[in-house]
Amino acid sequence: MRRFEYARPSTLAEAVALLAQEGERAKVLAGGTDLLIRLRDRTLGPAVVVDIKRIPEIAPAITQDGALVRISAGTTMTTLVESDLLRRSFPALVEAARYVGSVQIRNRATLAGNQCNASPAADTATPLLVYGAVVVATGSGGERRISLDEFFVRSGVTTLEVGELVTAIELPLPSGARRSAFQRRTRRRGHDLASVTVSVVLADDGVRLAYGSLGPRPRLIVGGPGSAEELLERAVSEASPSPTSMRAGPEYRLAMLRVLGKRAIEAAA
Amino acid sequence: MTEITLRVNDEMRSYSVEPHHTLLESLRDDLALTGTKECCLVGECGACTVRLNGVIVDSCLVLAVEADGGEVTTVEGLAWGDQLSALQEAFLTRGAVQCGFCIPGQLMAADDLLRRVSHPAHDEIEEGLAGNLCRCGCYYQIFDAVESVAVGSGEQP
Amino acid sequence: MTQIGDPAPRGGGRGRVNGEQRYVADIHLPNELHVKLVTLPCARGRIGDIDSSAALAIPGVVAVYSATDLPHPMPRFGPQFTDRPVIATGETKFHGDPVAAVAAESLDAAEEAARLVKVEFEELQAVVTVAAARAEGAPRVQDGVAGNVLREHKVAWGDLDAAAKHAELTVENTYRFPMVTQFAIEPHAFMAAPDGDGVTVWTSIQHPYWLQRLLAQTLKLPLARVRVIAPDPGGAFGGKQHAKYEPLLAFMALKLQRPVRLVLTLEETFQAVRRTETEVRVRTGLTRAGKLVFQDVDADYLIGAYADIADRVVGKGSYIACGPYNYEAGRVTARSVLSHTVPSTAFRGFGNPQVNWAVESNLTEAAAQIGLDPVELRLKNLAKKGDPFIPFDTPCDGDWVEATKRAAELAGWDKPKPEGRGRGFALGIKSGPTTGLSYSKVRLHADGSAIVYCGTQDIGQGARTIFAQIAAHELGIPLERVSVVMGDTGIVPYDQQTSASRSTVLMGNAVLAASRQVREKLAAGESGEIVGVGDAKKEPDPDHPLGGSAAFFEFNATAVELSVDEETGDITIHRHVTVSDVGKAINRLQVQMQDEGAAIMGLGHTLMERYIWDDAGRIRNLGAIDYRIPTSMDLPEVMVSDMIENGDGPGPYGAKGMSEGALLPVSAAVAAAVRDATGVVIRDLPLSPERVWTALQQRDRS
Repeated sequence: MRRFEYARPSTLAEAVALLAQEGERAKVLAGGTDLLIRLRDRTLGPAVVVDIKRIPEIAPAITQDGALVRISAGTTMTTLVESDLLRRSFPALVEAARYVGSVQIRNRATLAGNQCNASPAADTATPLLVYGAVVVATGSGGERRISLDEFFVRSGVTTLEVGELVTAIELPLPSGARRSAFQRRTRRRGHDLASVTVSVVLADDGVRLAYGSLGPRPRLIVGGPGSAEELLERAVSEASPSPTSMRAGPEYRLAMLRVLGKRAIEAAA
Repeated sequence: MTEITLRVNDEMRSYSVEPHHTLLESLRDDLALTGTKECCLVGECGACTVRLNGVIVDSCLVLAVEADGGEVTTVEGLAWGDQLSALQEAFLTRGAVQCGFCIPGQLMAADDLLRRVSHPAHDEIEEGLAGNLCRCGCYYQIFDAVESVAVGSGEQP
Repeated sequence: MTQIGDPAPRGGGRGRVNGEQRYVADIHLPNELHVKLVTLPCARGRIGDIDSSAALAIPGVVAVYSATDLPHPMPRFGPQFTDRPVIATGETKFHGDPVAAVAAESLDAAEEAARLVKVEFEELQAVVTVAAARAEGAPRVQDGVAGNVLREHKVAWGDLDAAAKHAELTVENTYRFPMVTQFAIEPHAFMAAPDGDGVTVWTSIQHPYWLQRLLAQTLKLPLARVRVIAPDPGGAFGGKQHAKYEPLLAFMALKLQRPVRLVLTLEETFQAVRRTETEVRVRTGLTRAGKLVFQDVDADYLIGAYADIADRVVGKGSYIACGPYNYEAGRVTARSVLSHTVPSTAFRGFGNPQVNWAVESNLTEAAAQIGLDPVELRLKNLAKKGDPFIPFDTPCDGDWVEATKRAAELAGWDKPKPEGRGRGFALGIKSGPTTGLSYSKVRLHADGSAIVYCGTQDIGQGARTIFAQIAAHELGIPLERVSVVMGDTGIVPYDQQTSASRSTVLMGNAVLAASRQVREKLAAGESGEIVGVGDAKKEPDPDHPLGGSAAFFEFNATAVELSVDEETGDITIHRHVTVSDVGKAINRLQVQMQDEGAAIMGLGHTLMERYIWDDAGRIRNLGAIDYRIPTSMDLPEVMVSDMIENGDGPGPYGAKGMSEGALLPVSAAVAAAVRDATGVVIRDLPLSPERVWTALQQRDRS
């Protein structure tokens, strides 16, 4: 890797100030499972790496505050998988988190980091989208909330501004009954990057379907009650899988979107 | 260079590291603990697995500086002096070792699994070791070794 | 006292579980320099100016070497042909072919500097497929080889044309085997240091003595001044048989008069070693009653830019393509086709998995066409002990019928198949070593403990343990009192090579002889240090197509039961049975481990492995993220391995070599089972979910 300075702010204010000061020269380090790969292959070459893990607000925590569940930015996939609260109310998210890499990866990879990395294949993105997740970010201008659907722009790019730091992901608890499911397609049973991800929520007040790896960013489609199959068809017609991807060809990906979407709907029904 | 202090295999170590060096590089080159191996360097193969602050990680994806103030156990820390752990013995007697290069990582992952789940089911073993590649194909024998320790006396692995 | 056959504890095992085992990359030399290689981002490039000024300006960088720093004309090396330059000269010939090498005081400095070496180059047209390499007007990969066919190997017996007249049915198909890489968990590592007037090289090599000879020739040094120290490799599978960057490092060490060290990244290993990709046309003639009449195999093996040992792979691997059956006539034609790709080298199976895939699959098809059970077809034609199934070679040396029946039995072949499942069956056969020369020395100490010296390498197959067991048994001493010393040409006697599953037989016999000589000396009343020496030879036969007949055959029968998720193309293997004919298992546990490991490795290229190229001949999936090998989650639900021990091998106690057989028929067995389950026939590998799904779609459309 190229050399860099390592900073380890101990407060949120310190971190925000540092990020504002360094701008594009800085990269945030949480779990490191994406960042270190890119530092090694030199697709990223920051002058400063800002380790946010010692900031109290970032420390792993899954808390419920009224109708909202807050997952702090430092919360790892392992912690997610072990959370009873999440398993009860957000089972598709837990299901997806279980598939991220291996035990070794899950012990480090953070939920927030998985979104900030903005890979269209991010396993946890589609569950978060169907659950209506909100990204909480803090910058020098203060705190703001961004719906996850507005957070993703395209592969590797989010609407996070320079100098901003994600501090948490918020999930609204469902008001009524709902069922949800997650499906993914990989090249082998062993851990792998997904070539299709699909999440579905069936609730009394409507259906939400999200898919990933068929276009530059994960996509969310929302419909009225009982519209699951219709949403799936819409997804299949609008999805734009890469024609040159190494992981799967476009025809197969679209077909798998339909197959997995159907399976997710059946599992959630 | 940055000064770090960490506990490695129960010994306090204080020394300087380059911020851009990984924990894997630092263990092998700064501390001469070459038991942990380099292979894929992208967190796919598990050859570099160590225990960091109570959980297993791919040390190729951790910067050495991140381990400051923490606690690391490597394969060299599994035995008690020259007394091999039950798991290490089991790996030997059950034929779980061929070329041996993946074994330090497998042992760290297996040790971690047995700490979390004292009597893992077969699919839990498969999943617990899913982050450790073995090209010699010793998987069945490795599972066997882990099962034999779990089924054993229930003593610490 | 350990008995022969016991699952004796692995020699060198302790060090492998407590982190003490020192592989090459764990060793450091005082005053060492770190080396990084510089390559071009193309398959083939004419090398222009090399500007090292920026690289040399990095603190700690000592030198940047390229072709101009080596002797003129450029020294060349290679185990078969001296075709490979020590470093690229004039042009690079494959994506990953080094054009310069940086030496620096630290790895950081070397890495930094390597990126700053500016190489002017012109990208040239490259050929990376059989079709492209053999096309009219294709650029020559090597100047002296027109049409890019390095050699054509032909082996034939009987009268094919006459035989064809008796064949009531002819089945003809083309099969493809992908390009895959060994992916040992230990990347290649090399060190070299000046040593008086000579040089010492440390390397993860399988054949230390062959390398010693090659280095001596290339460096123009006497053998006695070239020492190869070879710690146990962390997996090899053939990819560490022959010289890669040792000659370059040796030159650098001698020039710089300092130790130099190069550890490849995993990505660089994918650019250093691989298996040949192959296109095989098979024509099988048989009667409607299921008697095989003839087999006609024509294969193009795509080797790399330099031959390495690939041409031998092609010749030897294809030679036995017709399989373990009696035919009226057989013919195998195989070409080694040069290309601008990573030099292919030995890889478990040595050219045979590719033709096995084709021929066994074709037999499955033939059986289906005549409505005969595929196991029955094999049994009807299988050679029996003593049958000269290849007329000018060693006759059938095992009870192959027994192995075949055992595999069928363990697979429950005659029992009803569960709903939705398919079953497949295939046989594999490979010639053992055709020549050999192994020496061993056994030294008995005053306290009754002993050291065994051998030049074999323990690459994970457990050679250390086997030799210790033999010596312990012969000397009548406990296993714990036997040490085995390997891996240093300055210390151990000559061993030709560690390959072709030969070591138990050849070196094993040498150890046996040496141990017996110790016993004889003791019996004769000798005192002082008792040293026994022994050797095992297999003489070459210059008139034989392979240079010698097979010392033994590795024979395997594999049966697979699986189901296919027709919506996704996923294959689930419920049961994988593998039975090998081993003569005598000196260590039953090790034999089982080898067979199961080989089977799993076979599942790799069967289900998921392949290089992915771009149009410009560059490898797209370097590294572990996009090159998939089987993990703990990708295994058959049940793996059953068994062995046939009839004591009919030429090795100690009737042992044969093994460890490659169980890999050979895996893909044919799996594809046959997929066919049985779904009706689709696939003749390309890997059987990825996407490929299976695509085939199912075609089936449903027609």
